[in-house]
Amino acid sequence: MMNAENLLKNLRGMLPENQINTNPDDLYDAAADRYKKYAKARKVLDVPSPIAIVYPNSAEEVSRLLVFCNKNQVNVIPRGGKTATEGGLENWKKLTIVIDSENLNQIIKIDEYNMQATVQAGVPLQELEDELRKRGYTTGHSPQSKPVAKLGGLVATRSIGQFSTLYGGIEDMVVGLECVFPDGHISRIKNVSRRAGGPDIRHIAIGNEGTLCYITEVTVKLFRYFPENNKFYGYLLKDIETGISILREVMVNGYRPSVARVYSEEDARQHFYHFYKDKCVLLFMAEGNTSMVNATCNGIEEAVGRFSDGISEQVDSKLIEEWFNHLNWSQKDIDDEVEGMIENDSHAGFTTEISADWETIPKIYHNVINRIRNEYPRAHDLTMLGGHSSHSYINGTNMYFVYNYDIKCNPEDEMRIYHHPLQTIIVEETLILGGSMCHHHGIGKYRNEWTTEEHGSAYYMLEKLKTAFDPNGIMNFGTIFPQEEGTKYQK
Amino acid sequence: MKKSLIYIEQNHFQNSMDLLEVVRQVYDAEEYETYGVSFGASCDEAEGLFDYLIEVPDQRIRSYDVINMTNVLEELQGFYHFDSILFPATQLGRMLAPRTAMRLHVGLVADVTAIRHKNGFVEMVRPAFSGKIMAGIVNRNRVPLMMSVRQNVFSYQGASQKQTEKIKYSPIRIEDRKIELIEVREKEKTRDIRESEILISGGGGTGRYFPKLKHLADELNAQVSASRKTVDSGTAPRSMQVGQSGKTVSTKLYMALGISGSLQHMEGLKNVENIVSVNTNRDAPICSRSDIVVEGDAEEFIERLTDKIKWEKQSRE
Amino acid sequence: MKIMCLVKFTPDVENFIYDYEKNVLVRENVRMILNPDDASALAFALKIKNRRPETSIEIITMAPQSVIPHMEDLLRLKVDKATLISDKLYVGSDTYITSRILGKYLSSVAYDCILTGTGAMDGDTSHVPSQLGELLNICQMSNVVEIEEETFGSESAVIEVDEERNFAKYKICMPAILSLQKVRNYKLPYIKYEDLERNVKDQITIIDNETLGFESNQVGISGSLTQVSGTFVKIMEKKDKRVVRNDSEGINTVYQFLRDKGFV
Repeated sequence: MMNAENLLKNLRGMLPENQINTNPDDLYDAAADRYKKYAKARKVLDVPSPIAIVYPNSAEEVSRLLVFCNKNQVNVIPRGGKTATEGGLENWKKLTIVIDSENLNQIIKIDEYNMQATVQAGVPLQELEDELRKRGYTTGHSPQSKPVAKLGGLVATRSIGQFSTLYGGIEDMVVGLECVFPDGHISRIKNVSRRAGGPDIRHIAIGNEGTLCYITEVTVKLFRYFPENNKFYGYLLKDIETGISILREVMVNGYRPSVARVYSEEDARQHFYHFYKDKCVLLFMAEGNTSMVNATCNGIEEAVGRFSDGISEQVDSKLIEEWFNHLNWSQKDIDDEVEGMIENDSHAGFTTEISADWETIPKIYHNVINRIRNEYPRAHDLTMLGGHSSHSYINGTNMYFVYNYDIKCNPEDEMRIYHHPLQTIIVEETLILGGSMCHHHGIGKYRNEWTTEEHGSAYYMLEKLKTAFDPNGIMNFGTIFPQEEGTKYQK
Repeated sequence: MKKSLIYIEQNHFQNSMDLLEVVRQVYDAEEYETYGVSFGASCDEAEGLFDYLIEVPDQRIRSYDVINMTNVLEELQGFYHFDSILFPATQLGRMLAPRTAMRLHVGLVADVTAIRHKNGFVEMVRPAFSGKIMAGIVNRNRVPLMMSVRQNVFSYQGASQKQTEKIKYSPIRIEDRKIELIEVREKEKTRDIRESEILISGGGGTGRYFPKLKHLADELNAQVSASRKTVDSGTAPRSMQVGQSGKTVSTKLYMALGISGSLQHMEGLKNVENIVSVNTNRDAPICSRSDIVVEGDAEEFIERLTDKIKWEKQSRE
Repeated sequence: MKIMCLVKFTPDVENFIYDYEKNVLVRENVRMILNPDDASALAFALKIKNRRPETSIEIITMAPQSVIPHMEDLLRLKVDKATLISDKLYVGSDTYITSRILGKYLSSVAYDCILTGTGAMDGDTSHVPSQLGELLNICQMSNVVEIEEETFGSESAVIEVDEERNFAKYKICMPAILSLQKVRNYKLPYIKYEDLERNVKDQITIIDNETLGFESNQVGISGSLTQVSGTFVKIMEKKDKRVVRNDSEGINTVYQFLRDKGFV
């Protein structure tokens, strides 16, 4: 029978001491992610800490670790930059190791002619991006977590960036990758421009959230970078519907601004309190080569012109540019929030992101807001409830619900009193109208209760993947796939 | 002839004298005479301002022993039949007034800030709901009229030319004291920025010369605080940080030097009354919430304003 | 030891919204909260109970029955008993009458100490604690910021009082009425998750005038000795932002502003 002591002994047999971390503080930190950030900061986590964090140096080491864990029923949590928000990194098993990509930190090749870059899973996106910018390129990927997140994690969680409307989500950027399965098999998906060789197997790894395989290497596309051409637009709107109509107009006419967003009044206050005048805010950024930027600008102006009745005024583009320059949060922001959570009964809030087609998004938005205002028993504690649409597609867009509240309960109860009931309302209202409950944060462990509903009859396919690749269920127990044993942490 | 008694609190002498102005406004054109009562040490400074000064030199009554002070006021009311009794709304006055009012079975109005006359009644105006609402209150025909008066609102300008008659009063009923003062200590100058009335706050741009903020703070008897950027860079300690993840302050004046004012920062300023911001960018978010925006370099501003305050201080001396 | 906690639920004044156009304070939909000074008093009582489990805490409030849910929430914090003094006849009572009503109840029960807040956010007269001190013939002290726990429960307690410029320490005979200030070290705990919905109905006693037996003309508006003759809102002006340069004229403007506001 495997126990903690045995497990450590075995790990020490496989890896040198400096690749195994058993520091209690680090293990506590590894027990949960940003979902339970407040309980974690207040040191009242209810989940077990993992036994160790290991740092393999190669795909082969990952393979040996997985084979061992698979044979001995040891739960494995794959980990990158630790910016997960939905419990994807939370631990629900006593016998768990975290496989951290820290040492898989090499940029293997930047291939300018073929416009692709190959990196190991643990390379921070910022590092790759900085390297590319020096040469006049960009990955086009810029999630808010860019300064912290790592490539392996971004791919594993189907991440999306702030410029997705032009460049797409990570699934549009990944050319090929290498990943390791629980039985130790290492698969390499080759880098080609396109192929019709059966189903696109990249999508088994992209977004698997560490439940099927461990990603060790990825190759992403490159884009030319023209920051000097950036153009900004901002408008104050009478309502959020107008904003969504304008976003749609721009998209269906074939334009691809890199940023296209509309904020509800409440959310606008968070970012634009100095000019929003209690109105919704619509903003765009056009990016790319000169002719593309000019065309995009024309498209934006044209669309705005068509809906001028719903626009109360245009905003100085300098204000939008300034906002754009302060977009990302860094490790310092995260650390600062933790300090704040220790000192005060508050944090920076929570978010839930969903998606649906154009006609459904405004309905979901209003249903959610009304239901929370009327049904949620702690609605009076809310200090903020609103949302924005920030990623648009030809057939629809997303809605990023944002909320915060005065935390009037003990830290260990915060999730079940506040965030979870709120998220439940958002997910339920989205699923009823046929939207997706998870536009880009992944399912993690706290939306797994709706995974079957999210996928409906297609859940069959997802489930088969799990039984095929991870028959012993050692990969990130509780993530994506609902588990009876985990419900005690959810309620 | 109306008779009014004012409770003179030694530690708040000027505030007690200012109640003469309230009495003046209450009686308007009517004739009245004023009595002052003080416990403990005699108050010669009040001579000439009152018609009568009652001193209670009994060693057994400490000037914090509200029960025995109430006994004395009750006895005095029995002798003199005052038409009104006024208290400065100090810590002590606000405890003594309600006890006395209850003893005399009369109504009481607290923290009066204005006197008005309405249909032959004296209307006492006082703030309610943290000063967000003002209420006019009248007394229902019972004598004496009693009120406590907000400090530093009224100011008595009358000359000190009365022939004050001094009365030494010996109390009849004194109870055993149920309270004993152990020690008094002066409040230390607090290090907690939440307790400061004025904050001089430095943002990311002030890192290079952050210690200079103290010069201006000293002139204004203020404390120095900081934005997150300043704390992140290690220039200021976290205990100085204002904002959502730092401290929420409720100062009367917040001087924001080189702070752009993210919403997270502004969350910490929810209860601040006045904001002066100094910024090279007049469109910085915080400027939209400021009473005065100084467009320019904060380091220069500190020197100029410090010099100006010093100069004004000297020229007044 | 039996502690009486005198509490009041007040509108959440901080969240009043001012309508600049109509010049009125928007008071609709403002939530009731436990008066912050009273919360500190109750927090201290709970702290004592935590240390000495045999302590019993009774909260008393005079209010309409609509405050019952708020009282229930306090009971869920290990408060033993809640007494609601409520009668239509009492509506509109001024502080003098309120003290008489509360005093009548308090003189009928046994206790070792009465804890309450110094001022209430709405009226803020601080009359009731002092007037109760008079009616019950015991000491009362306002603006208490600390009670030495070791001394609390003996014949006299040592307390620290905020006297504006100074802090003063007193030894005060018990029972007494100690009126606390809102202080950071006495912070009300939150209800435990398991207790959030706990049924505490049988711990609430409602006392009306049938028990207390006042004549109808002795209480309420007709019995009150003071009367509100009118309320008005201070005219508040929207701030006018002034932008000045960093030159001597600008500095003069700032200096003048500091002077007008009394900062220099």
